[in-house]
Amino acid sequence: MAYSDKVVDHYENPRNVGSLDKDSTNVGTGLVGAPACGDVMKLQILVNEQGIIEDAKFKTFGCGSAIASSSLVTEWVKGKTLEEAVSIKNTEIAQHLALPPVKIHCSVLAEDAIKAAVSDYRKKRVTKAAE
Amino acid sequence: MQAQTRQADRTAAQAAGTMVTRCWSCRGPVAEGAPFCPTCAAVQPPGQADHFARLGLPRGFGVDAADLDRRYFALQRQLHPDRFATRSAHERALSQQQATALNDAYETLKDPLRRADCLLKLSGQDVVAEGCNLVNDPELLMEAMERREALAEAGSTVEVDAITRATRADVAACVGGLAAAFSAGDLAAAGRLTTRLKYLQKLVDETRVRKLQLRG
Repeated sequence: MAYSDKVVDHYENPRNVGSLDKDSTNVGTGLVGAPACGDVMKLQILVNEQGIIEDAKFKTFGCGSAIASSSLVTEWVKGKTLEEAVSIKNTEIAQHLALPPVKIHCSVLAEDAIKAAVSDYRKKRVTKAAE
Repeated sequence: MQAQTRQADRTAAQAAGTMVTRCWSCRGPVAEGAPFCPTCAAVQPPGQADHFARLGLPRGFGVDAADLDRRYFALQRQLHPDRFATRSAHERALSQQQATALNDAYETLKDPLRRADCLLKLSGQDVVAEGCNLVNDPELLMEAMERREALAEAGSTVEVDAITRATRADVAACVGGLAAAFSAGDLAAAGRLTTRLKYLQKLVDETRVRKLQLRG
């Protein structure tokens, strides 16, 4: 199976690899995994007071498609609102990267990672407001 | 006489809770998963028997490796396609299918992770399904992420070896935990441990890759 050019590009030049401070109240962290392949994916967002995602970082240990999916998502979510970020569908990721059917679950993982990051951020804000 | 034997076979098979099919050659009763017809000794299709039944073992995580080997080699001797070289095309094909099914059963039961997967599947707890089955266990994911990061940052083969040793010890402990969970009938715990074992074995594989990178 050959990877598409876009997957290879993200795999060889991954965007936004790294970590943000997971203890900061402006940062949401999503940690997800796929047991079938033993992949693990971390996606973090930095959200400003207007509720806009200013920065995003990821760290993925997995196959090329998983790395490309998370790399692409960090690019897409920057400048988006939280609502826009959670509306990203795995099918858009898979279509953009031309993932073959056996790699669709990698795009599902990326969609779940951004959802998990947003929900982590929202949980933190609720806790902060309650204090 | 023959009718009586057949009746007895059928009763025995029913008592054991196994399905009974008909021999393709003599139409006599054959217990599901039996490699040969008890009446005419013709080789049978592999059918739907699970891996444990195929090797004549009770379903359980505790499998004695030496016993498994003995059973496998004894059956493989009887079913090897070489023994069917002078038989009909149909029998040759069946022996081929039987040998393949037997290999699959043996490989699955020999490996603790695949054995645990297989047991969970048979219990209707398909934790490691194909495709998009997501891990919903933050602690496990955190552990997996931290260990993969530590491995990626390991700067020498000595450091990698230390990670490999620690991970192998964890694999052994995890397999011990699985035996306890299965024998206690705690499928939820067995499911969690199976997923953890999957990540630990992946880490062992990755330590090999990392070592190659450091040597290269």
